[in-house]
Amino acid sequence: MRKFFAVVKHEYKRVVLKWSFLIGTLLLPLLAACFAVIPAVIFSIKGDPTRIAIVDPAGRIGSRLRENLSAERMSERAKKAAEESFGNMDASQQERMKQSSKQFTDSFVFVDYPYDPDKAAGLRDDLSNKILNDEIEAYLIIPPDIYAANAVFEFRSRKAGDFITNDSFKEALNNAVRSQRLADANISEARLEELSADVELDAKGVNELGEEKDSGGVMAASFIIGLMIYITLAIYGQAIMGAVVEEKETRIAEILFSSARPFELMMGKLVGVGLAGLTQLGIWIASAAVLVGFLAASLDAADIVSSIPSITPLMILYFLIFFLLGFFIYASIFALIGSMVTTMQEGGQFAFPPIMILLVGFYFSFAVVRDPGSALSFWVSIAPFFAPITMPVRILSETPPFWQIALAIFVNAVTIAGLVWLASRVYRIGMLMYGKRATLPELWKWIRQS
Amino acid sequence: MTDSNVTLRVEKVTKRFGEFTAVDDLSFNVRAGRVFGFLGPNGAGKTTTIRMIVGITAPDKGSIELFGKRMSPALQDRIGYLPEERGLYKKLKIVDQLKYFAALKNVPAAEADKRIDFWLDRMNLGEWKTKKTTDLSKGMQQKVQFISTILHDPDLLILDEPFSGLDPVNVEFMIDVLSEFKSQEKTIIFSTHLMETAERLCHDILLINKSRMVLSGSLREVKEGFGKNLIALRMTGGDDILQDRSLVANTIKHADEMEVRLAGDADPQSLLKRLIEAGAVISKFEQIEPSLNDIFIEKVSG
Repeated sequence: MRKFFAVVKHEYKRVVLKWSFLIGTLLLPLLAACFAVIPAVIFSIKGDPTRIAIVDPAGRIGSRLRENLSAERMSERAKKAAEESFGNMDASQQERMKQSSKQFTDSFVFVDYPYDPDKAAGLRDDLSNKILNDEIEAYLIIPPDIYAANAVFEFRSRKAGDFITNDSFKEALNNAVRSQRLADANISEARLEELSADVELDAKGVNELGEEKDSGGVMAASFIIGLMIYITLAIYGQAIMGAVVEEKETRIAEILFSSARPFELMMGKLVGVGLAGLTQLGIWIASAAVLVGFLAASLDAADIVSSIPSITPLMILYFLIFFLLGFFIYASIFALIGSMVTTMQEGGQFAFPPIMILLVGFYFSFAVVRDPGSALSFWVSIAPFFAPITMPVRILSETPPFWQIALAIFVNAVTIAGLVWLASRVYRIGMLMYGKRATLPELWKWIRQS
Repeated sequence: MTDSNVTLRVEKVTKRFGEFTAVDDLSFNVRAGRVFGFLGPNGAGKTTTIRMIVGITAPDKGSIELFGKRMSPALQDRIGYLPEERGLYKKLKIVDQLKYFAALKNVPAAEADKRIDFWLDRMNLGEWKTKKTTDLSKGMQQKVQFISTILHDPDLLILDEPFSGLDPVNVEFMIDVLSEFKSQEKTIIFSTHLMETAERLCHDILLINKSRMVLSGSLREVKEGFGKNLIALRMTGGDDILQDRSLVANTIKHADEMEVRLAGDADPQSLLKRLIEAGAVISKFEQIEPSLNDIFIEKVSG
């Protein structure tokens, strides 16, 4: 047993102390943090306020527009809009809206430009000159008759590319004109709101226990979980193969086999690398939790966080269990391949079939997300080779009854026992066979030999 | 021979791989405190035999006893095995590799650290401790491998071609280290193609060929068994006599003398007499011991 732990420790350190592990482990959370935090930071940087001259011959729209562009009105409206359309918005849209309203606050300075009917002809030249002379950045000419068929609002700006400002400006202008039209028609804004209120469509999934569940983030979260397990299994499986091939290629196996039992050596390798994988997943899960917490705190929008499907500690435990099941299935296959080939390149060719199986499992997870209760979902989430990816996805999208989870664990554990048995037989003979790759009949002979 | 005298007892051991018999009914003993030369041409079954001794594979038939007990994994900790084809982890620091190999032999970590420092210094590798294998020359790697073989202070050392790749200075150095082991009453099994080295180091030898034992015994016995019919000869004239196949089996010409092997039951006296009668002028006529190399070639090609 002491030798077994020596192997575990050796393999664990070998993986964890590598640069690629450190980078992989820290980079992913860092990237995620960047995607979540950096846009918020960038959008919060204010540009210089835009000096704008409004030419309003009729004197009806200008004051409404000014009012709409005031700080209080902007943030008020953004908040209201966010509340109304929350269900249809993802976090990033919401973020953008919030940021734009924040930025909009105080981003316009109104330059007085009294309208003089006598100078109407030279009006545009005069305003353009003001822009060229850097007195203003933009001007708006409101048509005298807003009901005319050819009424055009002329907005000229030096900052034509500032989409956030332009969008908000257009909206504020629209609202101002609409308010004026409503006032002309003797309809109050409050009345309009009553009339044009949206119906409320309450779209939620219902699971077998009859509990309601928000369907919003489930799809994305399931996809991420499936992808994460797929990638880690592929990476760690091949890491095992690399380690096995190295010991065979360098003939270290001969020294190892004269010191410890092949089974101890192989299992120590699997367990050590598996623990390294768990470490990485653990760091990822912990940093995801911190990130969600940060988002929740920084945006004071508990709503966003609630759209992330609720992940219970039990679910995390299941994920880890299924990750380990998958790891031992694929790692023992890769250990078997590693001990029958002579070089890493040869191993690469043989790695193709297990990677394909893994990929098929990942594709099945899409079917599971779409309809977690279907017969297909049931079978693929229990089947060996696939369950390590599909069952966690299924648990997340719609937790099946416990007996199905237990059955999947049992079926895959039995598969592992069989694969480890096969792999250890190939390993103990293959590791000492130098020179050429084993053929399938040879492999069969090794397995049958006691 | 009592059990306490015998480190290793190999008894009627046979190992087959499918149709091919790698080791056929092989029996021998290795006595404690001796250097045992395990010799034979390539493919004779040496590596297979050694693998059975160190417990990597099990014999199909026969038994192997080590230190008076049947071979078992626990006994592996008392063996230091340096395989002919050996390696180190490419990207691991030297000290970490040695620690790992020591741990696999159940050496406590603190003790291992001490011994690693001692041996690295002794081998002039102290400053390479935290370097990786790829930074070391082939000879240095060889020395590191040797350290990994002796870190757990084994009672039986099995060295398969330990000097290949070493320069003469390092070979002498390693021989010094090995003689320390000899003086500590430890047993060394030494497998090699280099007959001069074997002749220098070994007390006992075992020669196998084509899976079977050809020759065994102490170096002295073996040589004496061969020693009666070889003559170093320097002379002018009398060449006709050497063509007489009833008297001379063959001759090997060296630079200024020749080695004459007498035919079956011919004796040196009659050869000398015939040469003198033929008028040869003899400046050297010496009955010599065969070298281990001669014995090896004769037994293996014969």
